[in-house]
Amino acid sequence: MNTNSNVYTVVYTTIVVVLVAAILAFVSQKLGPAQQDNAKAETLRQMMAAAKVESTDALYAKGNAEILSLYSNSIDEAFTIDLDGNRTGELATDKENIELMNGLKAANKAIKDGKCDNLPVYRFKGGISVIPVYGAGLWGPIWGYVAFEPDGTNIKGVYFDHESETPGLGAKIKDEPWFREKFSGKSVDFSGKPLFTLGKNAEADGKSNAVDAITGATMTSKGLNAALNVWFEAYSKYLGTAAESTTEEE
Amino acid sequence: MAQKLKDTILNPIFKGNPITVLVLGICSSLAVTVQLKGAIVMALSVIVVTGLSSLVCSLLRNTIPNRVRIIVQLVVVALMVILVDQVLKAGESTYAIDKQLSVYIGLIITNCIVMGRIEAFALGNKPIPSLLDGLANGAGYGMILIIVAFVRELLGSGTLFGFQVIPQALYNAGYVNNGLVILPPFALILLGCIIWIHRSIDKDLQEK
Repeated sequence: MNTNSNVYTVVYTTIVVVLVAAILAFVSQKLGPAQQDNAKAETLRQMMAAAKVESTDALYAKGNAEILSLYSNSIDEAFTIDLDGNRTGELATDKENIELMNGLKAANKAIKDGKCDNLPVYRFKGGISVIPVYGAGLWGPIWGYVAFEPDGTNIKGVYFDHESETPGLGAKIKDEPWFREKFSGKSVDFSGKPLFTLGKNAEADGKSNAVDAITGATMTSKGLNAALNVWFEAYSKYLGTAAESTTEEE
Repeated sequence: MAQKLKDTILNPIFKGNPITVLVLGICSSLAVTVQLKGAIVMALSVIVVTGLSSLVCSLLRNTIPNRVRIIVQLVVVALMVILVDQVLKAGESTYAIDKQLSVYIGLIITNCIVMGRIEAFALGNKPIPSLLDGLANGAGYGMILIIVAFVRELLGSGTLFGFQVIPQALYNAGYVNNGLVILPPFALILLGCIIWIHRSIDKDLQEK
């Protein structure tokens, strides 16, 4: 057969492409559930790392099943709220069907439009509230989890992740434990502007709502600072009420 | 025949090493060699991709229309790379490494070794030698990757596979991890040294 004729070439490439597409679709369907389990366990690890349920290293040494049961055992309740701090729904937390809010990108847009009614709050035992943050880094999205003490203003811990920040520079927001540790014990000033500052020499003023940015990661830090402020603002009503309710309980 | 097969396997690892002699695949060897674990996963991924794409292209070699052969090769390589990436993402223990290697797994597709071996070898040889040639070239690449990663993790972080190997006593005595070693330029310097050593051992590689 003449393998150089136009008809042969068109038919051949069509068959190859359809075949490859079929293989990929099949594999993606077969491996999809396992990949989702991994992604879910990863999210839970990050959340629990922020809430300091266990040390980050210990969490990353655990398998998926262990992570699921650890989460189920240490979470109190999970629910969604709107921008006014009112509850709008519940999220399941039992081991078999842990629900997570994954549409952070959509929520981020909704917050900016001023009409978001599915902001997730994960309340761990001991009154620790973990909230997500999401924003734009230099090369792609950055996101993370911030854990608040029961008073709703002091930060217990954070964990940040990113899609494609520069390794060695912007990627330090995830890679460097000392950067995460800087946030612990800081607080968010819900009455002030800005709520929180991540910037050059921010700590120099001695403010408790400021953290020094990473050298060489200016754009990533700016993005993270914006993300923190947008999401803290969105949760300000809820976290404000949390502070009041704890006072009442006492 | 046996001699020829032996050459097919050993040549890419030593005398015709894709990195130190052909100088292909430099980019990823700078990027993913900060830690041994990542380098080993990357090496295995490349071995699988080069081996399987050479095998498939060799099986198809008499049917591929000459005018679109590069595109067909690209489709085959892309398929293998995506498969490797998907499998790594699905594995419980490989998920974290896949995240760490991020784009570099996907970028195996642009690794010149893969396409280079298909063009130069697989299209003109039977499937079994092509498979071996692909695997051996991947192994030659992986070997250099692992050597570089070993040195970089040891000197840059004081660890191997994430375990501390440089004793605390040494740090107390004033030793510090070398920050330059972590950065890509050092990988290039190290590669240069490996090429230098390789050439001084193997006199055939020296220009007259």
